[in-house]
This record gives sequence, structure tokens and C-alpha cells, in this order.
Amino acid sequence: MIVVAIALNTFKEAVRDKILYVLFAFGALMILVSRAIGWVSYGSGEKIMADMGLAAIWIFSGMVSIFIGTGLIYKEIDKRTIYTILAKPAERWQFLGGKYLGLVLTMLVNLTLLSGGFLIYLWLSNAPVTMGLVQALYLTFIEMMVLTAIAIFFSSASTPILSAIFTTLIFYVGQVTKWIVELGAGNPPWVQKMLYTVYLFLPNLHNFNIRDKAVLATENGLAVPYAELGVVTVYGLAYASAVLLAAHLIFSRRNF
Amino acid sequence: MTYNPGLFAKSKQALTALDLDVPQNTIFGFLGHNGAGKTSTIKILVGLQFCTAGQAWIMGGDVRQSATRKRVGFMPENPYFYEYLTAEETLDFYGRLSSMDRASRKKRTSELLALFSLEHARHVPMRDFSKGMRQRVGLAQAIMHHPPVVILDEPMSGLDPLGRRDVRNIILSLRDAGQTVFFSSHILSDVEEICDRVCVLNQGKKVAEGPLSALLTGKVLEVKLAASGIAAAGIPEAARLAVRTWHDGVLYHVIVTTEEKAQAVKSMIEAAGGVLRVMQPHRESLEEYFVRVTDTTPGVASVQSGDGFATAKAKAPEVHA
Repeated sequence: MIVVAIALNTFKEAVRDKILYVLFAFGALMILVSRAIGWVSYGSGEKIMADMGLAAIWIFSGMVSIFIGTGLIYKEIDKRTIYTILAKPAERWQFLGGKYLGLVLTMLVNLTLLSGGFLIYLWLSNAPVTMGLVQALYLTFIEMMVLTAIAIFFSSASTPILSAIFTTLIFYVGQVTKWIVELGAGNPPWVQKMLYTVYLFLPNLHNFNIRDKAVLATENGLAVPYAELGVVTVYGLAYASAVLLAAHLIFSRRNF
Repeated sequence: MTYNPGLFAKSKQALTALDLDVPQNTIFGFLGHNGAGKTSTIKILVGLQFCTAGQAWIMGGDVRQSATRKRVGFMPENPYFYEYLTAEETLDFYGRLSSMDRASRKKRTSELLALFSLEHARHVPMRDFSKGMRQRVGLAQAIMHHPPVVILDEPMSGLDPLGRRDVRNIILSLRDAGQTVFFSSHILSDVEEICDRVCVLNQGKKVAEGPLSALLTGKVLEVKLAASGIAAAGIPEAARLAVRTWHDGVLYHVIVTTEEKAQAVKSMIEAAGGVLRVMQPHRESLEEYFVRVTDTTPGVASVQSGDGFATAKAKAPEVHA
């Protein structure tokens, strides 16, 4: 009940925040522009439209996670709204969980709207609308669940600017995590060990990127088998849970 | 009690050996200079800060337990709310956090909006509220779930005289309804007017505690006399007894330190053919008492009473409420 109350309030806050609409408009504009780029590009315009549309939705979602997520907890502390909330019979994990779920709900609604618009736009343009595209959009959502958890982790311990920098870095480095270990080849063992440790802790966001496969998917329309989709989903949810647990460990000891 | 104010900030000692008992169904004033430790104590009581030593209970429940906070209503100093919520949505939100069902929330929200004269602002977003209106919403959310203990941090801060009067009346009505009110304030005249008991903190230590009637003994600090019909030169014998005398052209003024001296001066005035116009004893106010104990008292000037309902003790701090 308390988690739901905080989640719905966070959703309401995001919906009444102008930044969401700016980002939404940006995402929608990029999808529309994809057609124009398709006209002037070499190769299949339909594929470029799909490619750019998926990328636009991914970037839009990443920006929502970073811009809203990193300020989510800090703003409550800075504006002291947290005082009256934590003084109620709310546990701190309920507060943190509610804020997280609220932003995930915001993300879900926005992604659904933008994805729906994107798929309709493709259909109207006589481009193929495959199940692979839906799979790619679904994994974008799971990736954003991970990124939002990371944003909330930093937000519960740091300022929005630092949190945004750290989360953006992880968003970027997370795309190339699998190459981090390879970077150590030929270096002293301690460097290799250090890079391996970094590799273990960083999220492998590349797992969620099936956008290329989705655009190219023609046979049965799937980008990846459903089993793979399930494994990646479990990985994403487990990683997000671990990060939220770490955020809780910091947050539950904080004095306000 | 020490606390860590941030990741890289040094720990701060906020309270030392605070042992406080708040009896049920009283209005308890919590006084002290800025930085004395009032807000830290309150934050411990409502679970916003953790003490490094000692314990605090409210109605027998450890304040770190969320179940204990069901019995507590809290308003912080200068309360902040979500700007995008209306007054009605704000109260409904706090009702949900207190696990109230929809029907109770709706009924209670209407009751409180009426009680705090906020019905006209029911659908107005909080961003458009004045400070006084926010303060009223702050009080309303604190008592939304009918808590038996209400803790208020500087509830009169920044309010105009009418607003202060309203808050005083609400606090009195809460006690009349059987609730216990624990509040900090710098406005000592308000505290003196409504509190049953007070505690004075100085630099994190308790320097006085007890019923107001016991702390303010009614001792006369000085007596002011004024008489007409006295020559400008005054009365030399009276001047010897007084701490100060002067003549304003019409009245002859004398200030003495005891009622006995005042009686003697009165006789001298009558003997000199004057007519006594004013004879006014001045007793110690809470403000003077506060200044006296926070300026000079090295130890505790305490008046204890046994039947504790709310308690806070500290080895560092202990607080029972």
C-alpha cells in the first residue's frame, strides 16, 4: 500500500514535470526524422527507419532514466519533502522501492506510447512490423529498469550532477563491458585483475541490445529466441534488484 | 549522540546525556537556542536520525520501528510539500502513507480542510500556497491519522499573530482531545501561554525541565512605583532603597527589588504628601527564566515527575515520549 502510494505519486510527479514532455517530443521527432534520413541514405530506407526509430526510443528512455532518476531521491532530501514521509509509518525500503517503481511505471507508459507510435508509423510507411522489433523494445524497457536502479543508487548517496555523470558513464561503459576484460590482455596481472573486477560489477547492457538483429529479422520475424529473451530478462531484474539492495543499504543508514 | 551529516563530513556531537520524560496528555515545550539540539532530538523521535548511543521510545515502542510511528504525527520546521499536488491530494497522500482506507481518507481530508480553513484551497496546487497555509497543511497532515502523540518542530515559526493564535488554539484542542503535543519553539510567550511542562536545552544538554508552574516560581524580580505630587528633587530616603529613580515632570518613578522595599517606599511617598498612582510587581517570565538558565546554569535545574508516558534517555540521549 505504502509502496504503491509512493510509486503513484512519483508517476504523478513525472507526468506533471515538463522535462518528460521535452524528452518525449525529442524521441518522437527523431522517429519522424528517420524517414527523411531513409530517403537520403544509401540502402534500404525501411531498415534505416526502423533502426533510427529503435535508437531514438532507446536514447529517449536513457535520458528519462538519467535526468529524472538521478534527481529522484536527492530532490526529496533537498526539498525536505522526505521529512514528512519517513516520519509516517513508512519503511525506508518502501520509500526507495516506491520511487523506483514510480519511475519504472513512468518509463513503461512513455515507452508504450512511443513504441506504439513508432510501430504505427512503420506500418503506415509500409515498412515491415516484426515481432523482433517488439522484442527489441521490450529489452530496451528491461535495460531502463537496470539504468533507473543505477540512477536511484547514485541519487540516494550523491548530488544530481554527480549522479547524472556516474549514471551516464555506466550507461556508456555498460554497452562495451564485454570488451573490458579483453583490454587487459598483454598488461600486468594486477591490471587484468582490476579490469576483471570492474567487469564483474558493471552491468552488461550490451545484452539488452538486439536492435540490429531486430531490424534484420526476417525469418519468423524474431530477433532472438524467447528463451534468450527470458535469460536476459532474469539477468536485468537480478542486476536491478542487487543495485536497489545496495542503494537501500546506504539509504537506510542515512541521517536526514 | 553524534551523527554523520554526510559522506565526507565530520560527525557532530548533537546531544549529551539527554534524559527526558513526556507525560501523556500534556503540552510539552522544548526550548533552546539555535543549535541546542532540539531538532536533532525531534528527528530521533520520528526516525529521521539515528542516535549513536541511548534509546528513545514513544508509548513503549522503539522509535526506530515503523509501528511506533503509527502513533506519531510530525510537522517539521517550515514544512515542504510536493508543489504539484493540491491540498486535497496532499492530505490524501499522507493518509495513504498512514495506511488509512479510501473512505476514512476522504472523510478526514474534508474534516481537516474545514478545521484549518483551507476548504477554498482544496483544489489549489501547493506551489500557490502562502507560508501560513503551508503551515496549516503541515499541521493537518500531522494529525491526519489521529495520532496520540503529535510532535511539532517550530510550529509558530514565521506566522503572523493571527496564524500563531490559530496554531496555539489547535495545540490546545489536541490536548483537550486527549493527545500529547511535544513542540519546539523560539516564541517563548506562546510556550508560556499553552505549555504544561517545558524542557530547556543548551548546547545539547538539558539545563531545566519541569512543569511551568514549578519552574516559574512567581518570584518578584522588581516592583515599579509611580507617584504624583512629589517635588522634582524626589525623596532621598526612597532613592537609597531603589535601584533607580527619576522624575518625568509629572510622576516620580521608583524601582525597587523586593515587595518589602516597595511597601517602605509607598509609606515614604504618602508621608511626603504624594499620591501613589502605580505599584506594579514584575515576576520572572519564561523568557527571563530561559535567558537565566541558558546563560549561566552549569548543571540541571530539574523538577521531576514520575509517571512517564513519553521518554527519551541518553547516555548520550534517552527520550521517552
